[in-house]
Amino acid sequence: MNDTVVLSNDQTDCLQEIVNVAMGQAGDSLARFLEVFINLSVPRIRLVEAEDLPQTLTEMVGHSGLISAVRQGFYTADDGNGLRGEAIVLFGDTSFKELADILAYEDDLDAQAESELLLDVTNVLNGACLSGIAEQIGTELAFTPPSVLGQHIAAKEVVTKDNLLWMQALLVEINYSLENRSFNCNLMMLMPEDAIEVLKFALDKLLEDFD
Amino acid sequence: MTIPLLICDDSAMARKQVKRSLPDHWEVDITFATNGVEGVDAIRSGKGEMVFLDLTMPELDGYGVLKSVQDEGHKSIIIVISADIQPEARERVMNLGALDFIKKPVDSKKLQDVLKNYGLL
Repeated sequence: MNDTVVLSNDQTDCLQEIVNVAMGQAGDSLARFLEVFINLSVPRIRLVEAEDLPQTLTEMVGHSGLISAVRQGFYTADDGNGLRGEAIVLFGDTSFKELADILAYEDDLDAQAESELLLDVTNVLNGACLSGIAEQIGTELAFTPPSVLGQHIAAKEVVTKDNLLWMQALLVEINYSLENRSFNCNLMMLMPEDAIEVLKFALDKLLEDFD
Repeated sequence: MTIPLLICDDSAMARKQVKRSLPDHWEVDITFATNGVEGVDAIRSGKGEMVFLDLTMPELDGYGVLKSVQDEGHKSIIIVISADIQPEARERVMNLGALDFIKKPVDSKKLQDVLKNYGLL
């Protein structure tokens, strides 16, 4: 593992708390959108190798069922050398049926309606969460339009090493679940090597304030 | 009289943020806990007459701490400081005996206002 991308304990702790605050804001947005109570858990932060990502995704989803996934890129609006990465939101197929149920969709969803629903929820989560993180480190993010990576596919098929443009990335994993229901979705943020450097610099500046 | 004050949060940065937000010259004896289990232990040993409590934590979350305190009949004054800003989260902690709820990141003025409102300063 390349040493320059490894976060120190302080940097990890700082990022974890920033993500925690942003996750709370996004959870509140999702709760309002679905009119339900969202259970939050502690966000997880780690480095992943591109070749290990399919396995990581399978473990993250925690079941062998099929999933749908949406990907959205983000980057700092002001210059090309800032924070950048992509956010991928994963929904299990069972969760998806529940989502349609909660939002009182009639009967079966066709593929078109499903993909709209995926994009809607992704927008709600990413908008609040990523902007929340950016705000706390004093920057502003722009987003690429979200795109559906796949519907009803195996977790390991969501991304392959060949369609990733990095070798190592920082993975921030957030889980949202609903009480008394099986709905569960994962938001993963992936930031490649150069963005990690930018992030570490921003975290160090925040940490200086606390010494 | 020095008040035994417990700050219970899994994040070192959040614990520092709370500590820094405390009023100057407030006579407190601060104990830190990094999860709910440690928090309950500290309360049992009398180190948490006042508690600033996070909700989303490993081992035992803030709701679990509030339940334990209720079940065991401790008289701790607990103020929740959390990033979970869902109105229902606030309602739940109030029902579990919390005195008030402050959203993260904690703001020094807000924290001190809360303490003043309840006559704790």
